[in-house]
Amino acid sequence: MSSEDYELSDEDYYDEDDMMDTQDDDGASAISEDMDTMDDFKISTKPVRKSYEIDSESLSQVAVEDLMNKDVEHICGIFGVPVDTASLLLRHMLWNKELLIEKYMDQPTAMLCAAGVAAPEPSSPEPSRSHSAASGSTTRRSTRSASKLLGLGKSKASSPISPVSSTASKLIPPKSGGPESFVCPICFDDTPDVPTLALVCDHQYCVNCWNAYISSKLRDEAEHAIRCMAEGCALVAPDEFVRSALKTAAVVDPTLNEDTDKLLSRFQELLVRQFVGANRKLKYCPYPGCTNTVSCPSAATKSSLNMVVPTVSCGARGIGTSMTSSQVLERESLGLQAKEHTFCFGCPIESDHRPVVCNVAKMWLKKCHDDSETANWIKTNTKECSQCQSTIEKNGGCNHMTCKKCKYEFCWVCMGPWSEHGTAWYSCNRFDEKAGVDARDAQSKSRASLERYLHYYNRWANHEQSAKLSLDLYSKTEKKMEEMQITSSLTWIEVQFMKKAVEEVDKCRRTLKWTYAMAYYLAKGNEKELFEDNQSNLEQAVEELSELLESPIEADIIPTLRQKVTDKTVYVQKRNDIVLEDTANGFLDGRWKWNTPVDGFDDPENMEN
Amino acid sequence: MDARLRRVNKEIADCKNDKTSNIRIELIDESPFHLKGSFPGPQGTPYEGGNFEVDIVIPESYPFQPVKMKFITKVYHPNVSSASGAICLDILKDAWSPVLTLKSTLISLQSLLCSPEPNDPQDAEVAKHYTTSKSSFEETAVYWTQIYAGGPGAKKSKESASASVARDEVAMAGLDHAHVRRFVGLGFEQGKVIDVLRRLNYRGKNIHNIPDDKVVEELLKP
Repeated sequence: MSSEDYELSDEDYYDEDDMMDTQDDDGASAISEDMDTMDDFKISTKPVRKSYEIDSESLSQVAVEDLMNKDVEHICGIFGVPVDTASLLLRHMLWNKELLIEKYMDQPTAMLCAAGVAAPEPSSPEPSRSHSAASGSTTRRSTRSASKLLGLGKSKASSPISPVSSTASKLIPPKSGGPESFVCPICFDDTPDVPTLALVCDHQYCVNCWNAYISSKLRDEAEHAIRCMAEGCALVAPDEFVRSALKTAAVVDPTLNEDTDKLLSRFQELLVRQFVGANRKLKYCPYPGCTNTVSCPSAATKSSLNMVVPTVSCGARGIGTSMTSSQVLERESLGLQAKEHTFCFGCPIESDHRPVVCNVAKMWLKKCHDDSETANWIKTNTKECSQCQSTIEKNGGCNHMTCKKCKYEFCWVCMGPWSEHGTAWYSCNRFDEKAGVDARDAQSKSRASLERYLHYYNRWANHEQSAKLSLDLYSKTEKKMEEMQITSSLTWIEVQFMKKAVEEVDKCRRTLKWTYAMAYYLAKGNEKELFEDNQSNLEQAVEELSELLESPIEADIIPTLRQKVTDKTVYVQKRNDIVLEDTANGFLDGRWKWNTPVDGFDDPENMEN
Repeated sequence: MDARLRRVNKEIADCKNDKTSNIRIELIDESPFHLKGSFPGPQGTPYEGGNFEVDIVIPESYPFQPVKMKFITKVYHPNVSSASGAICLDILKDAWSPVLTLKSTLISLQSLLCSPEPNDPQDAEVAKHYTTSKSSFEETAVYWTQIYAGGPGAKKSKESASASVARDEVAMAGLDHAHVRRFVGLGFEQGKVIDVLRRLNYRGKNIHNIPDDKVVEELLKP
C-alpha cells in the first residue's frame, strides 16, 4: 500500500515539473539521484496484499444504482412486471431476491399488496363513493396485480392500459373544469385548474399537497416509501410517480425548481442507502456529503470481524461541508491533499483502529468514555467525613483529621471520632481489626487496577494528542523544508523526505495508540510479551524519528540528517508493518487471548477449565 | 394564503358547524396552531358523563406531519399516561395520514377510550391494573372521571371531598381500603403504602401472588 503510494508520487513529481521533457545534462543527473532517493523508501515492490490489508472496492452512487438496476431487471425478467413494480417489491423484501421470488411465486397478489403495488381487494371503498364512474375499472385493474402503475388525472382514469406497460407514469393535469369542480381534501384548495394526481387507488389530491407531502417524507423522515395520503390506503407511490409529482409541482410553481432538484437527488440517495443498508457486503461512506459506497465481501459476516480489521477507503478525499473553509485553506497551504475517506467497514467508532479488532476497540473506548475510572479514583484516594459526608482526600500529615466543612475531628485510619482515641495519639488501637485490613486490601486492589488502566490510558491518550498535533508538525516541517532549500543545494523534490517522514510518524502513532488498547485487554503470557516487544520497538523507532524531525537544521549537517531521516523512515515503516502484520496474523490464527470476555471470542474463564 | 392556515381555519369552522358530533375545538391564545379540543366520554364506558379536554399543537408541516395531542384532563386509561396525559395512538405517529382532520383525530381519541389496548400501554401500571382486574380498573376510571372530568356524582363527591382526602387517594390509586389500612396499621405512612401497593399492582387475584413480606420489604426501602 505505502510503497505504491511512493511510486505514484514519483510519477507526480515528474508530471508536475515536466522534467522528462527538459532533459539536459544536469537535469538527467538530478533525475537519477531522485530515483535513488525515492527508491530508498521502497521496501518491496511486490503487489502482494499484506495480511492487515483487506480487499475492498469503492463504488460511486452511479455504480450502486447499476447494481440496483441489475437486480430490478432480473426480477422484471422473471415476474414479467414493470420496472417500478419490481423495484417496490425488492425494496419491500429488503432486496432479498431469493425470498422474494419464493414468496411471489407462492402468492403473487398478497406480495403485491404487501409491497404497496396494488390495493387489497376489499379495500378502497372511497373512490366508489366519490367517483362511481371510475371505480369499477379502478378496482378491477388494481386486483389484476401490477398492471397499472399509477392513475392520472380523472380524465385518463378510464383509458385501458396493457398489463406490462410502464408508460402510465406520465402525469397529465386534468382538463380544466371537470364535471364537478375539484376541492383538494387536504388543503381545501378549490382553485379551478389545479392539477391533481392519484395512485391507482384514485385518491386524488392536488399537486401542491403531493409535493409538500413527499418533501416532508423525504426530508424530515428520510422515508423513501411514499404511501398514498388517504387514511389506511397502503399503496406506495412508484419511483416514477414520485419524480413526476415533484417535477409537476415545479412546473406549477417555478420557485420550487431548485428545491425539486434537491429532493430528487435526496430521493435517489435514500433509495441507494436502503439498498446499501440491506446488503451486508456494502457500506455507505460515513463522511458527510460523500455518496460513495464501499464493497468489502470479506468483512460481511459478524464472525469475520473477529479475524480482520476491515479498514477501507471510499476513494474520495476531503470533507464536504463540515470542514470550514479556513481549515481547507490551511491544509491546502501546507501542500496537503485533503484526507482520504478512510473508515472501518465493521464498526462506526473510528476510521482506522488497526491492529485492534472492532469489538476490543469498542470496549476500550467505552471504558475510556465511562467515568467509572473517575469513580475508581475517588474510591481509591478519598474517604467521606462520617459526619457531613464531604469527600476528603488526605494529601499528607497525620491521621488526626479535621473536616474542613463541619470541623468534625476523626481518625483517618478507623474513621471513628478522634475524641475516643484519648491519649493514644497517632496510634489507632483499632488499626489491626479485620475490617480495617479488609478495607485496606480492597483499597490497594482497586488502586492497582486503576494504576494499570492509567498506564495504558496515558500512553493511548498521548499518541492521540500527538496525532492531533500532526497538522502543526506538518506546517513546521514545511518551514524547515523551505529553510533547507535556501541553506543547501537541495531541490524541492529532494527535501520531500521530511514530509514522508512526518506522514509515516503520523501513521505509526495511530497504530501505536491502538496497540495500547489491545495490550490492556491481552491476557498475560508469551504472546502478550511478544506483542509488547514489537510495540516497544515501533515506539522507540517512532520517537527517534520524531526527535530527528524536531532537531535544528544546520547547513553542514543536512546531508547526514537526510540520510538518517530516510533510513529511520524506512525502518519505522518496517516496524509498523511488522506490528500490523503480526497482529493481523494472530487474529487469523486465533492466537490472541484476552483477560476479559470479548464478544465473539471464547470466554477466557471457560478456556482454563 | 398559507395552506396550513387555510386548512386549520376550515377545520375549526367545520367543527363549529357540526352540531351532531359533540366535538369542540377552541383557541387557547391568538395562535390558530395551539388549540384545545374537547369531547364527551363515550357512553357505556367508565368515562361516560365526563368531558375530556385535549391540548392540540399543530406542527409546521401539518397536515403532512401528525398533530401533537395530549390530554389536559387526567384520564385513567392504559394508553394514556396518568401523569402527563401523553397518548399512545398509532394515527398520532406512523399511521397518520394527511386526510385525517382534527375532528377525526379527536373522534379516534374518543373511541380509544371505548377500546383500550392494554398490550401496547402508555402507562404500564394502569395497564397492569386493567389486565389484573377489569372491574376494579373500571371503578377507578369512573372515580377519576368524577374527580377530574366532572362526571356524574361529581357534586356529591365534591361535598365530601375535603372531609375524606385519604379515602380519595386510595380510590384514586385503584386500591382496596382494607389492604391499605392493614399496612398502615403496621405503622407505615399512608402515602407510602398507597405508592408501594400501586407499584406492586396489589389488586384482584394478583394479591395472592404478593406475600406480605415482599410488601413490607418494599415499604422499608428508603
